[in-house]
Amino acid sequence: MEHMIFSAGFADALLLGLSVASTWLIAALGLTIVYGTIGVINMAHGEFIMLGAYATYVLESKLHVPFLLCLPLSFLIVAVIGLLIERLLIRYLYDRPLDTLLATWGVSIVLIQAVRLIFGSDPLYLSVPNALNQNWQLGFFSISVFRVFILAVTLAVSAAVWLFMQRTRFGMQIRAVTQNRAMAASFGINQKRVYAGAFALGSGLAGLAGCMFGVLNIVLPNMGSGYVVQAFLVVVSGGGSLVGSVISGGAVGELQSIFSYFADDTLALCIIFTLIVIFLRFRPQGLIAPSASRR
Amino acid sequence: MLLKLDNVSSFYGRTPTLKNVSFTLDRGECLCVLGRNGVGKTTLVKTLMGLTDGADGKIQLGGKDIIKLPTHLRAAAGFGYVPQGRQILGAFTVKENIQLGTFAGRGKGSEIPPECLELFPYLKENLDRRGGLLSGGQQQQLAIARALALKPEVLLLDEPTDGIQPNIVSEIGAMLLHLNREKGLTMILTEQHIKVARMIAHAFIMMDNGRIAAQGRIEELTDEVVSRHVAL
Repeated sequence: MEHMIFSAGFADALLLGLSVASTWLIAALGLTIVYGTIGVINMAHGEFIMLGAYATYVLESKLHVPFLLCLPLSFLIVAVIGLLIERLLIRYLYDRPLDTLLATWGVSIVLIQAVRLIFGSDPLYLSVPNALNQNWQLGFFSISVFRVFILAVTLAVSAAVWLFMQRTRFGMQIRAVTQNRAMAASFGINQKRVYAGAFALGSGLAGLAGCMFGVLNIVLPNMGSGYVVQAFLVVVSGGGSLVGSVISGGAVGELQSIFSYFADDTLALCIIFTLIVIFLRFRPQGLIAPSASRR
Repeated sequence: MLLKLDNVSSFYGRTPTLKNVSFTLDRGECLCVLGRNGVGKTTLVKTLMGLTDGADGKIQLGGKDIIKLPTHLRAAAGFGYVPQGRQILGAFTVKENIQLGTFAGRGKGSEIPPECLELFPYLKENLDRRGGLLSGGQQQQLAIARALALKPEVLLLDEPTDGIQPNIVSEIGAMLLHLNREKGLTMILTEQHIKVARMIAHAFIMMDNGRIAAQGRIEELTDEVVSRHVAL
């Protein structure tokens, strides 16, 4: 009997792990493009997630837009904000990674304070349709429908990004620039346009993640700080490629859930961070690097 | 006159590596750039593509001065580039590598023009193979097909026979001869093999220390000129 409860609980942890993994991955998806392919260390990635949550809040409570429509709209809004920041700041810093790190950190502080000025420091809440607000009961398991929804959206968006990168002209241009900037330019690819587009795409994906994280947790001006760490862990250990991020996001999510089952959340994160440090010691390029020649 | 260089100098950092180069090239002609290693042949081609740190002087292509244009607009202006070492994108398939040539927007969409493949049956049969898996000679074919996909006004070939098996060298030479004489493609190529140069070129430039040491029609490339500048 005891054995059965243990294995049921463990299976529950594995299932929950899938859900945790999807949050790690969706948080990291935008950064996979921004850092993994165009090499910008974007410290404001967490704040783009936060902006997605606030965009959803405004859309829902002021404009009465239904939640499902907020997903693509928050993508668009944050993509436009990202594009603006790229045009005004990031584009001057492509050859200076350290300056980019400081500058985007500055951007993150400005964004946090601006949001605090406009919306105040009190937590805000997002609402979702009732259908998403329930729990599914399957024998021993109980899982919230919204977590399944996040998993589904994450899978769909990852697949869409993969197809975009593999099948479209612009996706191919991004991959060409990543492999060999001089050759890409020599065949008519405008590198500046490619970088701007990729940055906007990455920002938009962060906004989309924020839309869902705002439901999962409360919406606060400084909610992004935790996500940026998660996102970098996934992207760096994954090696900067989309497939790498999917694998590392999945592995980290499952491990966190399993460790939490045996110990607690804090210890689980502590073990995971340690494991990632050890992993990177032996494989600094991460799981799957997009190409040999990085900028 | 299709291409005209007037007093062009080019820089890496602040160091000039190409000094006061002038020449003209008519449509349909083939110009061969000769000289020892490190005299500025590759720099000349890179200067035409806008891949050095900076350049001054005048580069006129079809009457338009392009020296201020960034690299990607020079491709759009009509330079098809076959770089030294071929620089095939290893993670791209053969097909994707050729499609790269269509991004300059000189052809129609991202369709591969059929004439790029008719010369290269091997590529036609291996469109889905990764570029990194091809042999040196096959990569050279791919690099030329990629440049042809751009439908260039001028084809720039930097050491197309460098690092290629000797038996393939004459094959590539014959193909370039075909592209120039039959298809009427204007070409500039840098070359170490004097034999290949004499076979293909109409005119030559002999470079030394970043300058033009001698230039003229290919008939004027006597053994005496060769031994003076490319001494064994």
